[in-house]
Amino acid sequence: MKFKNIQFSIILSTIVFFSSCEDQLDLTPAQSVDQEIALNSDANIKRVLIGAYANMRHEDFWGGRSILYAEMLSANNEIRWEGTFNQPREVFNKSIFTNNSFITNTWLRSYSAINVVNNILDVIDLVDEADRDRVMGEALFIRGAIYFELAKLYGMPYVSGNTNTNLAVPLVLSPTREVSAADLLPRNSVEEVYQQALTDLETAEELLPATNGFFARNYVASALLSRIYLQMERFADARDAADRSITIATANGKSLLDNYMSAFNNEADTQEDLFAIQVNPQDPANNMHLFYSTPDFGGRDGDVTILDAHINQYEERDERLEQFVERAGEIRTDKWRDQFRNVKVIRLAEMYLTRAETNFREGTSVGATPLEDINLIRTRVNLPEKNSLTLEEILMERKLELAHEGHFIHDVKRTRGEIQDNNSNDLQYDYDDPRLVLPIPQREMDANPELVQNPGYGG
Amino acid sequence: MQRSLLIVMMMLLAWPMTGWTQSRTVTGQVISGEDNLTLPGVNVSIKNTNRGTVTDIDGTYSISASSGETLIYSYIGFIPQEVEVGNQNTIDITLQPDAQTLGEVVVVGYGSVTRGDLTGNVASLKGSEIANVPVPSFQEALQGRMSGVFVESSSGKVGEGVKIRVRGTSSISGGNEPLYVIDGIPVTSSGTIGKSNPLADINFNDIESFEVLKDASAAAIYGARASNGVVLITTKSGTSGKTKFNVGIQRGISSPTRRNEFLNSAQYIELMRESGYNNDLANGLDPINNPADYEDSDLEFVEGRLDRYAGHTDWRDGAVDTDWQEQAFNPDAGVTNVNFSASGGDEKTRFYFSTSYDKQDGIMIRNNFERISGRLNLDHKVSDRFTLGANFSLARTETTRLPEDNQFNNPIQLVALAPITPIRDENGVLNDRPTTTYYNNLIDSENANWLSTSYRNINSIFGEYEFTENLKFRSDFAVDIINQSDERFFGSRTITGQGTNGYGTSRWVRVFNYNTNNYFTYSNTFSDRHQLEAVAGMSFQKSEDNYTRVDGQEFPLDDLKTLESAAEIVEGTSTFTDFSFLSYFSRINYKLDDKYLMTVSARYDASSRFGENNKYGFFPAGSLGWIVTEEGFLKGSEGLSLLKLRTSYGLTGNAEIGNFDHLGLFGPVSYGLQPGLEPTQIPNPNLTWETTAQFNLGIEFGFFNDRITGELDYYDKQTSDLLLLVPVPGTTGFATQRQNIGKMQNYGFEVVLNSANYADQNFSWNTSFNFARNINRVRELAEGQNSIPPSSSRFLNGIFIGESIGVFYGPRYAGVDPNNGDALYYSNEQQTETTSDYNEAARMVVGDPNPDFIAGITNNITYKNLELSFLFQGVFGNEIYEGGGGFYAANGDWFDNSTAIQFNRWQEPGDITNIPQARLGECNGCNASSRYISDGSYVRLKTLSLGYNLPSSLIDKMRVSSARIYLMAQNLLTFTNYMGWDPEVNADYLGSTTSDSNVFQGNDFYSAPQAKTFSLGLNIGF
Repeated sequence: MKFKNIQFSIILSTIVFFSSCEDQLDLTPAQSVDQEIALNSDANIKRVLIGAYANMRHEDFWGGRSILYAEMLSANNEIRWEGTFNQPREVFNKSIFTNNSFITNTWLRSYSAINVVNNILDVIDLVDEADRDRVMGEALFIRGAIYFELAKLYGMPYVSGNTNTNLAVPLVLSPTREVSAADLLPRNSVEEVYQQALTDLETAEELLPATNGFFARNYVASALLSRIYLQMERFADARDAADRSITIATANGKSLLDNYMSAFNNEADTQEDLFAIQVNPQDPANNMHLFYSTPDFGGRDGDVTILDAHINQYEERDERLEQFVERAGEIRTDKWRDQFRNVKVIRLAEMYLTRAETNFREGTSVGATPLEDINLIRTRVNLPEKNSLTLEEILMERKLELAHEGHFIHDVKRTRGEIQDNNSNDLQYDYDDPRLVLPIPQREMDANPELVQNPGYGG
Repeated sequence: MQRSLLIVMMMLLAWPMTGWTQSRTVTGQVISGEDNLTLPGVNVSIKNTNRGTVTDIDGTYSISASSGETLIYSYIGFIPQEVEVGNQNTIDITLQPDAQTLGEVVVVGYGSVTRGDLTGNVASLKGSEIANVPVPSFQEALQGRMSGVFVESSSGKVGEGVKIRVRGTSSISGGNEPLYVIDGIPVTSSGTIGKSNPLADINFNDIESFEVLKDASAAAIYGARASNGVVLITTKSGTSGKTKFNVGIQRGISSPTRRNEFLNSAQYIELMRESGYNNDLANGLDPINNPADYEDSDLEFVEGRLDRYAGHTDWRDGAVDTDWQEQAFNPDAGVTNVNFSASGGDEKTRFYFSTSYDKQDGIMIRNNFERISGRLNLDHKVSDRFTLGANFSLARTETTRLPEDNQFNNPIQLVALAPITPIRDENGVLNDRPTTTYYNNLIDSENANWLSTSYRNINSIFGEYEFTENLKFRSDFAVDIINQSDERFFGSRTITGQGTNGYGTSRWVRVFNYNTNNYFTYSNTFSDRHQLEAVAGMSFQKSEDNYTRVDGQEFPLDDLKTLESAAEIVEGTSTFTDFSFLSYFSRINYKLDDKYLMTVSARYDASSRFGENNKYGFFPAGSLGWIVTEEGFLKGSEGLSLLKLRTSYGLTGNAEIGNFDHLGLFGPVSYGLQPGLEPTQIPNPNLTWETTAQFNLGIEFGFFNDRITGELDYYDKQTSDLLLLVPVPGTTGFATQRQNIGKMQNYGFEVVLNSANYADQNFSWNTSFNFARNINRVRELAEGQNSIPPSSSRFLNGIFIGESIGVFYGPRYAGVDPNNGDALYYSNEQQTETTSDYNEAARMVVGDPNPDFIAGITNNITYKNLELSFLFQGVFGNEIYEGGGGFYAANGDWFDNSTAIQFNRWQEPGDITNIPQARLGECNGCNASSRYISDGSYVRLKTLSLGYNLPSSLIDKMRVSSARIYLMAQNLLTFTNYMGWDPEVNADYLGSTTSDSNVFQGNDFYSAPQAKTFSLGLNIGF
């Protein structure tokens, strides 16, 4: 009897057990959701929009590296890379390997952000009508900003001509739901990518409101448009965009800060910030701080040194000289000193400088005279007002005001200047030197046979 | 009754006979050479008579014999011994186990077979053979002992993961570690925090045997998880009889196997000044001969740096010469082990009980390992038909851990600091940047703590019920629970906590893994010729992983280290993930006439890890064997005592991929403290396991009554449907998609030879040799894809069709231009042209991290009570790339201290050297190239042990049954041409993802050398 019970209970429990196991095969992840859920409602799509910013703010892009590349390319014997990371060092030496992991990740991150944007645009009709313009405007702002940045980093300068044959990056305008041969896209021309960036940002400028927290606003789109027009030498358009940006921004409480150095190392956007990447201990990536700061402020070892050749360009009494402090054995700039501080992308000062330069070039005084705008910048830093201006003076003011913020290389390129090599006195790089253009990442060349490598980087 | 009467009569008859020979009473004790425990039940007989006795429960015996007679000691599973009585009254005997007897029981999946009946390839090792080896995990102790099983510790850091490859690497981006099964339960072997090794929680003194299932026939019963081989571990169980106690203690000291030589202060100063001065000369300046040139010269820059690095001292007077390398090593490194076990029982109930304490003070500073473990294995016969049992084990493992190799606070990175830098300043405070070139991580020793604590339970219960003599059912249920916490605190002076008044992290993980096996076993013999055994059943496994992490900073003072004191919590996360397997399996063994063998097995596996279109898979295997020596024409052959041929073919799978790789997913992100979502994965509903088809052909032989035995095996593993992270155009928004694509092949042969070279009463000598050659080839990648080139500019490993996985691919270094000191690279593959422009260099395969072959040879020698055992282990034909070379072997490119050999740099035209001219910051030859590759072959005296068993006269007085003292040395000698620290190396930080850990092989990046350990121990049985 006893054994029969055992036999029976074995058989019974086995049957019950087997049937319950089958259910255990359909497990779902706890940290992710299915793509259908993410894109099926107004609320969720707005979360995906935050995801687009999160990609754009990543250290690979505006979390620092796109600025770092600009600075390394334009070292010009004014700064020196001393860190152990070989990725920035290669850029600094203008001897970049096609498998440079920073540059590879910047490419991947940019297109990741573009894919998020394309996903949002694909289902934009599901967004509540009241918010639809704003959501679409922000998405287009992000895409336009990224295409412009990619065109500058991976393509020849616009002013070097042949914009219909010089290659920038592939244009992707629809979301990826599966991978197929249709995804093997060739690079579009510099012209096409610039035009796409213009279209996206012009539409964004129209759709966006003037107040939207630290997210994209219409005057931020105007500011970016002014940058694009400058690169294209469409000075009148650049002037008007800068003027629009200044007008709306100042009407919404933006202004230059009294003290130059208080425009940096900020936990929140200041009056002077038109657009900044939000950094905090939860979201700590700021690669400019990481490499430019020193251990006492949570940075690496002080990987970038500011050289005398740079400092000597400032006039005496220029308060901007206060940024140069000896830390960790060398001179550093304090613009990136503190940890967990926002990454400056567009400061209002840039718009005054752009308006001054373009008014000067066009012989106009839209919004203000060039002299008024330049003196606004100069008096803030305790410099005497000027009575007359040359283009060189405007460009020098621009260089010093925006130094170490990722501008100089792009100004050198559009003004057809040159960059001095740090190691060899006899070596200069012309504005259109292919060595000032990043390589298409090797992993991308391998994954996509349609791509053509940039000159000077092998096949 | 009748039989015992007969024996009594015979003894009575024999009695008077002793009267007319010179008879004496011989007494003694028989000990097993396997574990030094006494052997009850050994037959002690007198040669050419039918007189005899058996040893009692203490292994002692007493027999009357005349001096001219010879005693024969025999016991199943041991080599018999003969001893002439002579004038001895006491004869103590140690019987050596006969490892290769056909009667040896080999554990296989869901059962066991005798070795003679085995048709698959299974490597076995008795736990006793690695007892007392002073290493933290059993994996390290297996090194060199089993053919075709490659074992590599990534560095000399204790408690870190150990790589095991059974018959090569069969996956590119899936896991390649074998499945570990302890007492029938697939245990958790990964998924704990950081680089910690969950298998280091296992006390290997508790292990009775290891079996590694290598071919398809043996492994296919583990189906979708068997491609990488299966390691079956059986723990000890009790034997009925008097309770046996065993106590062991062991103490030892450790030191690094090898050191690297670095420049002293004078050499460093000379090289760095020369490096700057060379730049000046190239720029038309001569700051030495023309003082006007000094300002803003590179020489001035260098001397400014030397001033900085000398701190409060003056580098010009040569007072400071710091050996930073020595600072990284722990002068008090060593091992301690104390263990106790008891086993015994009666006819119904048997038990094995043990407890153990193990401590390893690592050879690196700040790196210790401590394990306390206990086990109780119990089984009870409820009735003739029904048996119940349970195995309980509990371990606590504490490791003070080190960061990954690429971190500034990895102790070995101290070698980068300048020898002119004093360790401490004039106030006795540790120097840090800017005085030190990089972070002085000795500060971590004073101002940081990092403790990882793991609690591990592996508990199982089982019941076995015999329906009839031929049919039984076994059911077991087991849980394997890991509870691990990892507490880190970096004080305000450390590199990590400096900017934030300290930085603390608390991590916690729980892995809960449960498993049940339920199966029937049927065995029967028909017509005396047909022996049949069949197994059929199911198993279900589910594993759940909970993880939380909190990071905080801004501590009021360094004495308050828990996150309660952190003013700012900067990171907090928790995650959950799980997977499940549901499987049905069956195996049939058939034997005809004791000489024709056949096994067929199959498993039907389903897993939550696979896409909905491919959730279920079928893994069949079959094998045939023929014991030729059982045939009439060979039976009884004098020389050839065994000849067995066997062959197998079958399919196995590899399911070691992420838990949800088949789904299209959006994951969480945040920006500006607002929650967001982003796409994280493209769907692949077709995703399924990798399939390996393996063919095996083997021959087993024995000569001269099995004095010499061996095995030869040839195998061919063809893996298809590789789970490959296929690079997709980044313009899609994704970098990779996991697809079943690509093929890989591993083929080779294995040799095992065992020889009982000599054995008599006083002296025995056994040799065991294993050798394995594995050839790994990538056969196919994604369509149109010929390679996955190196993804890093610092390391060279890539994947190329027709080559081994992870070959080094990059420029081939062509030495130094004697005219100008330029580093040269070959600019064409034919290696006829050279260039000094690194970007112009031709890229080619310049090395292979995979060994051509591995081998091990063990000798066991006993002389009277002395035992000597030594294992030489070797790895041959692999190359190692020194990723740190670009810093410490870069001819003074930057201010890192250089290895001594860099002093042979090119200095003037005509110099013939391999070290380029020193040029500060110009990377003259510092880029990744074959310059930093060297031969990684090595031979090691892995284990040497010398033991002495106290004679019975002495142990009787001590009232114990056995006592043994021993000296044991690990990694005593290493023979290699490797340029870096130790050739058993693989930089740990490169394996952050599974695919990276497969590809990035054979790299050294400031990785700790292995430990060399001398220990002294004592084992007492009573």
